[in-house]
Amino acid sequence: MLRSLLRVMVVTCCSAAAARADDSAKDLLAGDRPIEQVVDHYVDAALKAANVRPAPQADDATIMRRLSLDLVGHIPALSETADFLAASATDKKVKLVDRLLAAPSFARHQAQEFFTFLQASDDPRRAARRTPLFEYLLAGFRENRGWDRMFRDMMLPDEKDKAMRGAGEFLKSRVRDTNRLTIDASVVFLGVNVSCAQCHDHPHVSAWTQDHFYGMKSFFARSFDSGGFVAERDFGFVKYIPNKGKEKVAPVMFLTGKALDVPGLKEPSKEERKKEQERLDQGKKKKTPPAPPQFSLRAKLVETALAPGENDFFARSIVNRVWHRLFGRGLVMPLDQMHIENQASHPQLLQWLARDLVAHKYDLKRLIRGLVLSNAYARGSRWESGDMPPEQLFAVSRLRALTPMQMAVSLKVATTDPMSLTADGKELDKRLEGIERSSEGRASLFTQPGDNFQVSVSEALLFTNNSNLQRELLEGGGTLVTRLKQEPDNARRSDLAVRTVLSRPARAEEIQAISDYLQRRGDRVEAACQQIVWALLTSAEFRFNH
Amino acid sequence: MPASSPRNLRSVRDINRRDILFSVARLPNSDTLIVGSSDNKVHELNAGQNNPPDRELADHGRYVTSVRLVGTRTVVSGGYDGRLIWWDRERGEVIRTVAAHTRWVRQLAVSPDGTKLASVADDMVCRIWNATTGERIRELRGHAARTPTNFGSMLYACVFSADGRKLATGDRVGRVIIWNVEDGRQLGAVDAPTLYTWDGVQRIRSIGGVRGLAFNPDGTQIAVGGVGQIGNVDALQGPSRVEVFNWARAERLFFFTGQQGIVNRLVWHPANEWLCAIGGGSNGLVMFHDPARRASIHQGNIPMHVHDVAFNEDHTRLYAVGHQKISVMDLRA
Amino acid sequence: MRKRFCGSGEHVISRRGFLGTMAAGGVAACADMTAIQALAAPEISAELRRNQKRCILLWLAGGASQLETWDPKPGAVTGGPFQAIQTSVPGIHISELMPRMARRLKDTAIIRSLNTRNADHNSAAEMMMRGRPREAGLNYPDLGAVLSRELGQESSPVPDYVAFYFATEGRNMAPSNPGFLGARHGAMDLYTSMIPENIRRNGISEQDHIERADLRGTLSRGFERGRSSLTIDSHSHAYSRVRGLMSSEALFDIGREPQRIRDMYGPTLFGQQTLAARRLVEAGVPFVRVGRAWWDSHGHNFETHQEMVPELDQVMCTLLDDLEQRGLLESTLVITLAEFGRTPNINSQLGRDHFASAWSCSLSGCGIRGGSVYGRSDATGQRVADGEINAARLFATIYRALGINHRKNYHVGARPIPLTDPGTEPIREVLA
Repeated sequence: MLRSLLRVMVVTCCSAAAARADDSAKDLLAGDRPIEQVVDHYVDAALKAANVRPAPQADDATIMRRLSLDLVGHIPALSETADFLAASATDKKVKLVDRLLAAPSFARHQAQEFFTFLQASDDPRRAARRTPLFEYLLAGFRENRGWDRMFRDMMLPDEKDKAMRGAGEFLKSRVRDTNRLTIDASVVFLGVNVSCAQCHDHPHVSAWTQDHFYGMKSFFARSFDSGGFVAERDFGFVKYIPNKGKEKVAPVMFLTGKALDVPGLKEPSKEERKKEQERLDQGKKKKTPPAPPQFSLRAKLVETALAPGENDFFARSIVNRVWHRLFGRGLVMPLDQMHIENQASHPQLLQWLARDLVAHKYDLKRLIRGLVLSNAYARGSRWESGDMPPEQLFAVSRLRALTPMQMAVSLKVATTDPMSLTADGKELDKRLEGIERSSEGRASLFTQPGDNFQVSVSEALLFTNNSNLQRELLEGGGTLVTRLKQEPDNARRSDLAVRTVLSRPARAEEIQAISDYLQRRGDRVEAACQQIVWALLTSAEFRFNH
Repeated sequence: MPASSPRNLRSVRDINRRDILFSVARLPNSDTLIVGSSDNKVHELNAGQNNPPDRELADHGRYVTSVRLVGTRTVVSGGYDGRLIWWDRERGEVIRTVAAHTRWVRQLAVSPDGTKLASVADDMVCRIWNATTGERIRELRGHAARTPTNFGSMLYACVFSADGRKLATGDRVGRVIIWNVEDGRQLGAVDAPTLYTWDGVQRIRSIGGVRGLAFNPDGTQIAVGGVGQIGNVDALQGPSRVEVFNWARAERLFFFTGQQGIVNRLVWHPANEWLCAIGGGSNGLVMFHDPARRASIHQGNIPMHVHDVAFNEDHTRLYAVGHQKISVMDLRA
Repeated sequence: MRKRFCGSGEHVISRRGFLGTMAAGGVAACADMTAIQALAAPEISAELRRNQKRCILLWLAGGASQLETWDPKPGAVTGGPFQAIQTSVPGIHISELMPRMARRLKDTAIIRSLNTRNADHNSAAEMMMRGRPREAGLNYPDLGAVLSRELGQESSPVPDYVAFYFATEGRNMAPSNPGFLGARHGAMDLYTSMIPENIRRNGISEQDHIERADLRGTLSRGFERGRSSLTIDSHSHAYSRVRGLMSSEALFDIGREPQRIRDMYGPTLFGQQTLAARRLVEAGVPFVRVGRAWWDSHGHNFETHQEMVPELDQVMCTLLDDLEQRGLLESTLVITLAEFGRTPNINSQLGRDHFASAWSCSLSGCGIRGGSVYGRSDATGQRVADGEINAARLFATIYRALGINHRKNYHVGARPIPLTDPGTEPIREVLA
């Protein structure tokens, strides 16, 4: 295993340096400025420098839909859109954002999103099923736990505490393969892929050495599976044969190059070994989690990753991820290549946001609020004046395919009788939670979108011909179709259908096209209503967060 | 007071080997065994000794699946080459070679009076031979060549009744046919489909089959051995299983199961004291069952997967052969 | 036509196949034409045959034994009970369980020297479907997706990648996966029915089905104006292919084959699916995988192979005959491959276990020097004695046989990802 990995490293290791930005703090905007203003300051500056005029702000209906999808995970109910469009207060967007951030579905949606990325599974089909890790994340987002705390919980799970059991899943599912654990933990929490194989054509990053990989691996080298629990030894180290030279013991070294002086980097004596075995066996016998070691390397990793001066990787990585989710593109791309040779599109902005996040105890809700209140977030997604400007300018809002859960829940929201989803806060949320719960199966029909996601023909065929999906969405009582059937006027039918499914008023030409379609099917009103709803659900406009 | 008592089963001697032994015949009133091996040869050795010298006899060029004695001097062996070889064990000379089957020979049986030899092979035919002259007496055809799902079937087992007038043959899908030796008529048939697992969902293939057959002393019942239904056909992960039928009425009288594995051989005590089933999975298994009371007498282990077994005259000692080992065990009262 | 493929110049050339040029006349015309009709016109058929390469992978999931198929060791302590038989090529012997293939080895190259170092079903299957081990952070496409991309026609009415896998065991170990090539190159997976899911119109009239799709297009187009990306283009493209794919339903219907042909393939599921595979490649589908599971014979290895190898022998031999008679064999590569082979050692249940150190596969037809053997395992089959190759070299060979440059790069973001690692050479000896 080690050997084969080494071979890869020898041939193709690309290097990557520490991500520490050189931008010194004194050049950054003041720390007390609101996040949204800082975002626009830096983004606008880059636009100006590139001489690009950004797309205008999106209209209210689009903003409402975008915020709803991003913050609570589904399209708004008809009544919510109507309320928002009717409101005239100048701060109605801020009020809406705060209402959505306070909704119980906010925590559920964040938990879902983080669950998906923590699974970091190559198999999109696996991501849909919720596990105890989801429950852990949900509890975390409900009480707005800091991301540093969640990181600590996941790296040092207290498996005795039932409520914390889900936090251990990240380690537990990877601990049997230390290389994978090292790589995944670095990618997920620190934004750096230390495996780095296959980068033969990549620009070389001089500061990165094999010690960086094996150094990171050392933090996990003492962790292992002990009767279904994650245990850690007091001894153990990583040896490897570098490109040049003889086999050596890897230093315990963080990505920044900070090497730690730790005990136990030698073969333990017989007695020490025996003592340790006793400690581990005790837990095994009682089927309880083993007692922690006297000196935990994993705890050392957490401590180092969060230490002032070392925490850039951790803070910048999560900022970049959240930004990527809301803007459809990271400030650094790809998300797992946050090293110094791969500059952020807006380095100072990233630095400011990371600093702000640390200063505010890794409060993700605060970060999200700031980002969605920016003008950069609220731009229109259409670009009609010549060539599309480079993506990294954020001049135009990027289309984002709905995630499986967003899709599954939104399909149900869009096809439920809109009069049954009233905007009365608690009641509505209860109904929506019910829809969410019943949507997991439907979510598994869809693929988790990545960068450059493509819609499959299978999905088009599914929508076109699958009778189960048709039954779930378009047939029976309590559906939008039933409501449309009761409406005698074709124009009003058309408008109601568009408002409910696409979350905006219908345009004249749409009303015309849909009415004509209905008109020609006067002899089969129900089928005709089903067909127009189908045509709206399968339009690109519904498929994307735009 | 019976001479044998399975409850007292204990190991006398294990003889380790590098090959896999599929069949054993024992020279009367001795510890001398003739065994058929995965090294393609027939060997003779004295199982009364530790580390006995090994005398190499016939060579089939392929796995030898069955060896049987005709009298004390003549041995007949059959193997994956489709041939039967008669040879004189004292002189170590081949008497005759017969191209007996077009497919792989699975088992031989000699009639109690020593005059007839039966052979079964995967060409799905049972042939009866004059055990002395090697002349073919007749062919018994009746087992389907294909399984119900259109794969090639296999014909594993044959056994004579104590009076030598009936012969039973058993195939992969669990069918057992009882033949009249005299004229080759089918006297009856029973089915033990539980012994054949066709997995059409998970793995789309099969495992199992009738491996052991034994008539009861009066010939009215037939015991059929193999492995019960298996969830995962990748391995022998089902219960070892024996079903006993009144074959004339095609009625199952009782069945018993044991530890994981397959029953490869059945021996019915001539005085009806017990029915012995022997076989294995990763390890060896042995079961002694009281057919009168329909109750288990003893179930135990043998240190290797067993393919065949021979008993001494009073059934107080057994000689099991199988995966890289010969195991000699005592069951004296 | 809008450029949907981000490949290099050579890539554009390679996909300028016949249907591609025809599609330039209009996607709609193409989508409404059934592939069967396409084949009915002799000049089109001939053109297809000349230009389009395709591939059928007979995937022997669970790990078929090399010793009971392509690399018998009769007489060796590890050899098992079966004999080796002389093939139509002097000096080459294969297992007696494959008499038909022994007689028609002229189009087949046997490779006996795979050492792939991974004997775990999951990760080995991933590797042998991709030609490389899993790498963190890189979702590499499998062979079907790569061939869909390299050999598929942009507006083809037929699917580009079809995968049959009816057994439930092993299905999720290495599901078809388009990886970073995206869903456009994903498989049409058949798990339970010989007819693809959702390919039949359901509870709606033909007229409404067409007009409903038109309304969808009208509503969607308004939105697509001023919004262009790989992702949104894939959406309209996926829907534009629906009617064409629905018209290809007949390709999956082996009931349309003469009884004589069906009999040749035999009545088993594997036979039927391989016949469907032939119908599909004949109509221009570039890649079909027929999963035959599950060969994992930890117990009773010999009887398992006695049951399954003759089926493989019949089906494979029939497929090659059938392709040859249709003039398709020189443009169709047929691969038999598993995730690994089986141990020479025979365990106590007469089984063989997982083994990746010296095992075999075969390549037949398109671009292959038939009647050849490459590589050698030692006398007992424990090690490769000569010509050791890994998954990457096998894949380089497959790509070369299909006329694809194995050195070509894909790009994930700015990162170039080569089809096979730099320095990987195809096996010249088995290439025609």
